[in-house]
Amino acid sequence: MSSMAEEPSMVLVARKDLKMSAGKLAVQCSHAAVTCTLNAKKTHARLVERWSKAGARKICLRADDLETIQRLAGQAQAAGLVTTLVKDAGHTELPPGTITVLGIGPSPRRSIDALVSELKPY
Amino acid sequence: MGLRSFLHKITAPQPSGFAPSGDCKMIFVVNHGLKMGKGKIAAQVGHGAVLATMNAGEHKPRFLEKWLASGQKKVCVKGRDAEHLLDLQVLAESSGILTTLVRDAGHTQIPSGSLTVLALGPSADGDIDKITGELKLL
Repeated sequence: MSSMAEEPSMVLVARKDLKMSAGKLAVQCSHAAVTCTLNAKKTHARLVERWSKAGARKICLRADDLETIQRLAGQAQAAGLVTTLVKDAGHTELPPGTITVLGIGPSPRRSIDALVSELKPY
Repeated sequence: MGLRSFLHKITAPQPSGFAPSGDCKMIFVVNHGLKMGKGKIAAQVGHGAVLATMNAGEHKPRFLEKWLASGQKKVCVKGRDAEHLLDLQVLAESSGILTTLVRDAGHTQIPSGSLTVLALGPSADGDIDKITGELKLL
């Protein structure tokens, strides 16, 4: 069981209150996934490699509002995890600068679960 | 290496020294026949984006740089089914556009091995529009 908890994972926490379309949500989440991956490659290269070899686990969770996302971002950073906040460029659907998604990881599943265990899948 | 990738390898433009002229984007054709939930689609497109980025880093670094520098533009469109995605892949590869297929591990919602997303690019806006310009936004 302990190996499972050490397995790297990534979570994409999206704001439910923005009521984004499926396509918009997917694009915002993938911004987070790409940015997290590129950032993690610089600082946690071996972790990224293990993560992608094991199928690059990603899960999309929902947050009720901006405060939840900001609180989680703070906690994740304090825990030393790779985090990215996605700000929308505002070309479609939303005003420019809206924070849409928080990406965390790739990081050991145990450290991520400790932060987001109360969130539901999107 | 399959026949298709082999043909692609000998006919595709050389990656180095070949830079895109205009802006670049990445397109995700989502298999709409699978009836995935929103979060599922988001995770699958996320897979596609990360894989396509890595792929581009290896084969088309100058396209990747340009795409990242201009705000990593991404668009999601609807594909009918797995066959439609594969047809588009052949079409894109014959125009030298980088393609990446995502197959689901089948942990949730759909059977293992289902073809969920075809990622195209990063490639020049004009080139990629020729392949997917007619498809509806997701």
